[in-house]
Amino acid sequence: MSEQLRARAETLRQEVRDFYATVMPAELRDKAHRHQVLSKEDYVGWMRLLDKQGWSVAHWPEALGGKGWSPLERFAFEDELARLGCPWVIPFGVKYVGPVIYAFGTDAQKQRFLPGIKTTEEFWAQGYSEPGAGSDLAGLRTMALKDGDHYVVNGQKVWTTYAQWADWLFCLVRTDRDDKPQTGISFLLIDMKSPGVTVKPIRTMDGFAHVNEVWLEDVKVPAENLIGEEGKGWTYAKFLLKNERTAGAIVGWAWHVLDRLKKHARETRVNGVALIDQPLMRNRIGEYELRFMALELAAYQAVTAMVDGTENGSEASLIKLRGTELYQEVMETLVEALGHAGVAFDTEALHSAGLPPLGPDDTGGILKDHFYNRAATIFGGSSEIQRNIVAKVVLGL
Amino acid sequence: MKTDLETIGMLRDSAARYADDNYSFHQRWAVLEQPEGYSRQAWSDFAEFGFLALRLPEDDGGLDADAVAIGAVMEIAGSRLLMEPLLASAIVGTGLLLKQGSAAQKAALLPALADGSLVLVLADEDEAGPCVIDGNRITGAKLGVLHGDIAGKFLVSAIDAASGAAVVALVDADAAGVSRHNYKLVDGRGATTLRLDAAVAERLQPESGQTAAVALAEIRDEATVALCAETLGIVKSLVHTTNEYLKVRKQFGKFIGSNQVLQHRMVDCLLLQEEVRALTAAAQQALAGPAEGRVRIVSGARAYIATAARKVANEAIQMHGGVGVTDEVDVSHYFRRLMVIAALFGNRDAHFARFVDASLAA
Repeated sequence: MSEQLRARAETLRQEVRDFYATVMPAELRDKAHRHQVLSKEDYVGWMRLLDKQGWSVAHWPEALGGKGWSPLERFAFEDELARLGCPWVIPFGVKYVGPVIYAFGTDAQKQRFLPGIKTTEEFWAQGYSEPGAGSDLAGLRTMALKDGDHYVVNGQKVWTTYAQWADWLFCLVRTDRDDKPQTGISFLLIDMKSPGVTVKPIRTMDGFAHVNEVWLEDVKVPAENLIGEEGKGWTYAKFLLKNERTAGAIVGWAWHVLDRLKKHARETRVNGVALIDQPLMRNRIGEYELRFMALELAAYQAVTAMVDGTENGSEASLIKLRGTELYQEVMETLVEALGHAGVAFDTEALHSAGLPPLGPDDTGGILKDHFYNRAATIFGGSSEIQRNIVAKVVLGL
Repeated sequence: MKTDLETIGMLRDSAARYADDNYSFHQRWAVLEQPEGYSRQAWSDFAEFGFLALRLPEDDGGLDADAVAIGAVMEIAGSRLLMEPLLASAIVGTGLLLKQGSAAQKAALLPALADGSLVLVLADEDEAGPCVIDGNRITGAKLGVLHGDIAGKFLVSAIDAASGAAVVALVDADAAGVSRHNYKLVDGRGATTLRLDAAVAERLQPESGQTAAVALAEIRDEATVALCAETLGIVKSLVHTTNEYLKVRKQFGKFIGSNQVLQHRMVDCLLLQEEVRALTAAAQQALAGPAEGRVRIVSGARAYIATAARKVANEAIQMHGGVGVTDEVDVSHYFRRLMVIAALFGNRDAHFARFVDASLAA
């Protein structure tokens, strides 16, 4: 990895910090600081702000409006945003389906969809998991049967993030009943306004409904919405999953919550002594610091391998494993450090930008994230699946 | 006082049967929607079953229940996620009144406690300095008072303005100078921050001569042990439900429970469950014993159990996958209940520190 690239990544980090301090609207920055629940308008505004900076699709090739970012720049960007506590870069359009469309789609599909993805003119959701197909994605059963110039789709998707806001759903479907699990799968773009699409919210532990069930009943989808070839959907899905596992943000999130833990532990006094000066807490925070150092260095090692083309396919899994474990443990300690405030919860306040019932102004948001991110070791390939991947690709087991 | 095994078995059975019939996970949804965060119907049913008179002397129509008997009920409170103030009022509030109340004070309050018309809770944790009682006026603030939002009266730990001695003061929730900041906890129950500004208070004055300091130390340990039993109920439920899930959830063409890695993790959860059971029983025994040995076992049990329960809950969610973080399954409700338990009557670190001090004392 060249010094030049390193320097570019450092410059990018500084640009992101400047953007946070001077470009990001104060209201959004405040919501982000407090880990508030964001509305669709907030997210669309956020994604468009990134687009204006030239960042929403900077990882795309330059010919398509991107900057052709290297893995290091991508990592630096996502890591820095997460450290600042910014809203996440909603990946379904810009990171997931966009690259699939430009890699495997027709010219007509590229012209139709890529501009709206770049500017978040159209909001995308991912129709992958099903009730019987979670970790075992190839077990999916949603059927799309060809009928003249369209497909008729029947099935049920689950854990569909932001389906309630989505204009489009990119969907893995089975186009051949008799094929082997992975060969009968196709990649289909479904207009959410189509008759027969029903979105049913799933309430998660944090009291919100970020995820949904999506029911597809006799949904007619034009055949031109098929990506690539029929039956090759699994190949495209694997290509997409590689993008899902870039893992940049998890290092930043871990840093961010550790930073919050240190802040609250300094500001909270128990029996007259700051929490951070109490031996048990101090020791625990020290352990987290050490583990974060190892995570950060391992992440750089992994990104370096990606830049140099020496990766073995396990890098993103290792970072996700370590990163999510550390993130969850730090969160537990942070909630504990908040004491009684850490068990008081008001979902309304999180929506209305009101204050939490007790504690510092970010308490409610921290709790929401604590609940939701118990799923960090489950979504995007569970920890068990990540370990399977590493066992297979590196250890040959 | 040692409750006989037959009575304990009867208590356990009647509580479990009641929960089976009236407090299933689905029936409980209606309770969660109550603005008060508990079911008045269940509360009056508990009164009828005698659960609210558990601690009362037999002469007053009670069971004079010991820690094991209380634990039998608390285990059900945990496994069924009961929302009513059993711990706060029937065990802690009533228990402290029994220790510290004068005959007249007890006579005035016990009937209302037993029939459920009065909720009496202990407000113990100071916001900053201790609450101070001067004559019959009390001033100060108390944090994290479980069910303080629905309490009719409070028992407030305080110090006497003149002597600095510990005092337990009875304060009416409606008295002038009393204000409450009510809020909901992550498990749906209510709590309050209690502020007292020269509020009228009545000191508890036991004929026994037991000091308030001793009584408060006892009741805190009793509450801690009751929380151990509640946690045991939760851990057993989590282990059971997760184990069942491993037997029915299929991925990659086989039950996920056939994966050795999950089998081993499930075994570790079972080991933790058995340790929680053993520690809870030991802590219950220790309550009946001398004060010196009590602290080490009670706080040691609580510290170990807090860590064990968190580990089991995290594993239960992980092994359930996505459904584990939804509101629709009991696993996530157990997880939230454990968070609240962890913040009551001393957190894990506080009990661990107390255990270490007791263990390493020369």
